[in-house]
Amino acid sequence: MREAYVIGAGQSPFGSYPDETYRSLFETAYERALDSVDGDFDPDRIDEAFLGTLGVGGRQIGLSGPAVTEHIGQHGIPTTRVENACAASGYAMRNAVSAVKSGMADLVLAGGYEVMTDTSADQTKWWLGVSGETEWERLSGTTFAGVYAQMASAYLDEYDATPEDLSRVAVKNHANGAENPNAHLGFTCSLEDATAAPAVADPLTLYHCCPTTDGASAALVASEEVARELSDVPVRVAASGAASGAVGLFQRDSLTSVPATVTAAERAYDQAGIEAGDVDFAEVHDCFAIAELMAYEDLGLCDRGEAPRLLREGVTDPDGDLPVNTSGGLKSKGHPIGATGTGQVVEAFEQLRGHGHVQVDGAERGLTHNVGGSGGGVTVHVFERGFGGGSA
Amino acid sequence: MTRGLTAAGVHVPRFRIESSTIGEAWGVDHASGIERKALPAADEDAVTMAISAARDALDRGNANAADLSFVGLATTTPPLAEEELAPRVVRALGGASDARTVTATASPLAGLDVLERAVGADGPALAIAADAPTGDPAEADHRLGAGAVAFLVDDDAPVTLVDSAAHSDEYPGVRYRERGSEEVDALGVTTYERDAVGESVAAVVSDLDVAEPAGAALHQPNGGLPHRAGGRTDIAGAAIERGTVVDRVGDAGAATVPLGLCAALASADADDATVAVDFGGGGGALGLAFAGGLDNAPSVDERLSGGELVSYDRYLRERGYVVDGEVAGGGAHVSLPSWRRSLDGRYRLVAGRCPSCGGLTFPAEGACGVCHDRGAFEHVELPREGVVDAVTVIGQGGAPPEFVPQQERDGPYAVAIVRFTHSGEEVTIPMQLTDCDPETVAVGDDVRATIRRVYADEGIPRYGSKATPI
Repeated sequence: MREAYVIGAGQSPFGSYPDETYRSLFETAYERALDSVDGDFDPDRIDEAFLGTLGVGGRQIGLSGPAVTEHIGQHGIPTTRVENACAASGYAMRNAVSAVKSGMADLVLAGGYEVMTDTSADQTKWWLGVSGETEWERLSGTTFAGVYAQMASAYLDEYDATPEDLSRVAVKNHANGAENPNAHLGFTCSLEDATAAPAVADPLTLYHCCPTTDGASAALVASEEVARELSDVPVRVAASGAASGAVGLFQRDSLTSVPATVTAAERAYDQAGIEAGDVDFAEVHDCFAIAELMAYEDLGLCDRGEAPRLLREGVTDPDGDLPVNTSGGLKSKGHPIGATGTGQVVEAFEQLRGHGHVQVDGAERGLTHNVGGSGGGVTVHVFERGFGGGSA
Repeated sequence: MTRGLTAAGVHVPRFRIESSTIGEAWGVDHASGIERKALPAADEDAVTMAISAARDALDRGNANAADLSFVGLATTTPPLAEEELAPRVVRALGGASDARTVTATASPLAGLDVLERAVGADGPALAIAADAPTGDPAEADHRLGAGAVAFLVDDDAPVTLVDSAAHSDEYPGVRYRERGSEEVDALGVTTYERDAVGESVAAVVSDLDVAEPAGAALHQPNGGLPHRAGGRTDIAGAAIERGTVVDRVGDAGAATVPLGLCAALASADADDATVAVDFGGGGGALGLAFAGGLDNAPSVDERLSGGELVSYDRYLRERGYVVDGEVAGGGAHVSLPSWRRSLDGRYRLVAGRCPSCGGLTFPAEGACGVCHDRGAFEHVELPREGVVDAVTVIGQGGAPPEFVPQQERDGPYAVAIVRFTHSGEEVTIPMQLTDCDPETVAVGDDVRATIRRVYADEGIPRYGSKATPI
């Protein structure tokens, strides 16, 4: 198969922009992605688009993808709207990579968008529950905060972990997000702030939960030939691992792990020809603080039960051995559901080209980890700076 | 063949309120002779209380629901004004589809009516009275309680029905509910009402072929009326005392006199006679006379003395008097045909055993959750006791819209992943906790499944299993 490269990536600011629409937000992300391309680039060269969204608010349930590409002047290109809940654009990215690698396309637009803050509180609660297992899990009375809180309760019971460890995720990611002008919640918080915040679903406090966010993100995925023409410092897609899992937490073998992450990561490391955790940084799906702890372990960055130690010792701080969520993560940068997956790609692209807001020294390889729902669908992408020699 | 009552079961909601608490709130209490009463939790209604009492009776009688040939449900507060509700109870219990069912709802008389019909049926039969009437919070509500009792009826019974009698005359306005209203009312023409009840009860008692009953459960909308009505008969005050429960449970509609009957029968000896007489409002009255004592019955006194006292503001919330029940933003929609497919799982925790690996999958549909093969599941009923593997508390603002009305009434609730074990295999089910302080539930706790109202979708109440700490 051919190689695939990211030659451009950009995001709209993430935040609360009720006056914006999914189309106008995506237009901003698209323009920024175009601007990030090194060479003189004619957008008409884009062959196809894969765009992820859950469709919160029900504003354009059918055909929102074509509505977006027509809006940005990509008239007539084939557009596929991808829905895999919070992993929608992780999967859109995967589809774009597949299209390039297969030879079906030379230049593909991957992206995602979501508008969440123009909706009433009641409507928002309804939408936040649509990606859980509907007939049993939701009807036990949970939305996602409840399901992740259940995981947290099991994790705290099983391992030497405390609510302060959950708070450490918030402290770290807010510190990173405070440096990111595109972050939704770009302020810092203390360990005390995070632990003493009001409970959302015990043991998770408000600071252990990501916000609902408006935003869009876009990445331009190109063949090697196009990348060589248009990019001075391209970012090679070294791996696109993905896996599905049971949609309901109760249907899984483990309550303290997301099995689909384990599988997707194994596939990604295998494709990239690297060992688990052999990356310089990672953007992981920290929709709730417990999710970041489980991600460390599921991605093989540490052994089971060791995630709290990584946080306590600062291993995943920007100056640690393996910085995680330098963008601020979902916690601080925000979580516009459909835009999150390619939003992570934007951070990886900028890190590997040396333009990170919180730059990791000598970043040559990074991974992005995007989870749909509480683990029903996962993508793990590995990115490397420059042209690679191998053929995956 | 001595057909009659072989066992009884009781459900009294855990919440109780003292009349003095209501009196403090209103400056006066309209609950004469009622010391305290029971109130249903936000997820309880006549159907859930009926199922609970029925399970208790079946367990005590060591009977199998599948053998029941008749199930009668009496309630003046059916969750739907029109619809046969007894089939839901039968399905929840795992009863047979050829069981005769009746849902009687017109008045409190329904309780004794379905009991008499159960005795008249052939084979194992169940008569259930479950009720939770509501009324104007300023007055009628003060005395209205809640509870359920189920009698298992069969041949070779220790308690036999020896006689029944009825009385009918037109006495409107004594106890009535307007069409479309949820408020039980009385016109309050005191002497007229006392005469209506007194005449009717006395007429029925005089027609019953029974001498010096040791126990008597007489129509008891308040604590004074059974004695006042009994004064027109030769029944001893001590006998009336044994059959009076309204002072501790409140006026539980169609369930009050059957609960009193249960209390009296449980304390009766083999050669004792016991009567139950109810007045239906409108002028109908029915009386049943029994001989014998019932050992397979719970202590009603014990059930009525326990419970958790609530404040008056909690009372108003829990009963729904100050919550409109509207589901803002729309609720989770599961179509009724889909819901019906899942009933065995929801009511009886029926899981699928994989023919390939022996592992359990819940619900029993799709590929095996363990080995992912697609064989035809063997259906197995899980034990109703399980262990909490993960738990959280859903506070204000954290509930999906369809659970907001319940949360507004009942407060925060716990949601757990509960692990059940059957023949050495484990399977987990997401379950809401009920009847407990949600903050006290922890990983590793033992819980038991109980059937409660889950939510209402498109106006139709849906029931399923929740968990209560053991």
